[in-house]
Amino acid sequence: MSDSIFILNPSSAGQCKDQQVRRALDGLKGKVVGFVDNSKPNFNNLVDDMAEFLLNHHGVSKVIKHRKTLASIPAPADVMSDLERQCDLVITGSGD
Amino acid sequence: MAVEVCSTAFVSLGHAQAKALGYAELPIVAVPHPFGGLSRDKTREAAEKCVAGIVLAALEKMPDSSKVLASTDFSAEAIEVSADPDEINRLNRDRLWSDGLPVVPATAERVQRMLSCTPRKRNEVVAMLAPAFGAATVELIAINAVMAGCDPEYLPVLIAATEAIADSSFNLQGIQTTTNPAAAWLIVNGPVARRLGMNSGINCLGQGNWANATLGRALRLIMQNIGGALSGDMDRATIGQPGKYLFCCAENEQENPWEPLHVEKGYRPEQSTVTVVGAEGTLNLNTHSKNADEILRIFAQTLARPSGNDYFLCGQPWIILCPEHAAVMKKAGLSKLDVKRRFWAGSQLPVRYMTDIDRNLTQVRRRSELGEFTSDTTLPICSAPESLGIVVCGSAGTHSVYVPSFGNTRSVTREIVWSA
Repeated sequence: MSDSIFILNPSSAGQCKDQQVRRALDGLKGKVVGFVDNSKPNFNNLVDDMAEFLLNHHGVSKVIKHRKTLASIPAPADVMSDLERQCDLVITGSGD
Repeated sequence: MAVEVCSTAFVSLGHAQAKALGYAELPIVAVPHPFGGLSRDKTREAAEKCVAGIVLAALEKMPDSSKVLASTDFSAEAIEVSADPDEINRLNRDRLWSDGLPVVPATAERVQRMLSCTPRKRNEVVAMLAPAFGAATVELIAINAVMAGCDPEYLPVLIAATEAIADSSFNLQGIQTTTNPAAAWLIVNGPVARRLGMNSGINCLGQGNWANATLGRALRLIMQNIGGALSGDMDRATIGQPGKYLFCCAENEQENPWEPLHVEKGYRPEQSTVTVVGAEGTLNLNTHSKNADEILRIFAQTLARPSGNDYFLCGQPWIILCPEHAAVMKKAGLSKLDVKRRFWAGSQLPVRYMTDIDRNLTQVRRRSELGEFTSDTTLPICSAPESLGIVVCGSAGTHSVYVPSFGNTRSVTREIVWSA
């Protein structure tokens, strides 16, 4: 290319990160499901209803619910490690 | 195994951030947006559909070959482009590297000149910036500084500012992705402000000063290009604000009758610092009164609004006092802390002014601080007078400014380190 110059890419988008692979479950029967409620209006009702469907129609043995006090901060590390230890599936919420 | 439930307006944020955090395969199930207003019956319908989607996602087998290893080479890619300025800007526009305005081409020579103004190594990672958690190397900061039009000697300010926004108490994740118009306001203190010719006086938050403008703009480019918060993608601001292009000034230390901000924060006067504030915008506070009690009374009353994040979330509001108002307060014998106390006491908001839904949310968020609300409860704007921020800026006139905060954020101050 004539009359060309080189400019440097200002973005971090090309930086690769380790990617986790999704591990599918073999079924929901007997499994423990955790919820992280983002505390936005009405999400607690959605969590209650989803929990009921999972328990009554899909054989889930137990649900654990954590409601954040603020949507814009992460759940505490001890809550997340507890969910990771106890749950087969964790459902989080985002948005309004 | 995890599944995310997003309202439809946030699905793109969910996918983008999952990838950025190393879990590109995170299944996302959508519910209608806005979700908060759905009736109980509609919510139950949404829950049933969500569960169906969650079951499918949880049982879906994925190929095993999708693991991508992290790269430790953070050297910036060089791209060959026509020297025609229009072509260069077209490239920046197409790749979404600009803030919407033309940028200066980040040639290797310009970036090298910028890098000569810091002792830090080119590939040193200054911070990881949310929400993409991109590695902000010294080189990437310099590239964005060049694009914004910064002079090379501005670079140490941007390195310190990058460290500051990455501090967890600033809550960059929240500020970058929120629907709130939050911007990062830069306040520069100490000798560096004069050395760089920054404006702390007349129209200091307005146009016309090269250092104020390009430093503020560069931080926005850093947040966008390295932090990854592209407008409409991970940046979900409902409307935004002009301060998201740039929001930067120095403190008018010469006309500040009290200690300047960096000295209040524990630095020596001869040190230079940058402070970042998660700011919702600016609200002008105009009174011609020369009576400190009157000024403080009406300004504090103006702060008390039942639609403010400071009240919802117990934030960290800021006041920019113009020199004339600051002088009136000093003459009345008030210290900076006295002024903060008067603002705090005078801006108590009766909780009954809030809408029902906002009051209930505020109750949840501030219960540990304020206990159970009654009809007589009044809300302080922040947890204590000391957490309210005050700086003195500007020139002649009777215009001070309220800078409401994003709420769930705290300002962060970092020293600006210069080459020996």
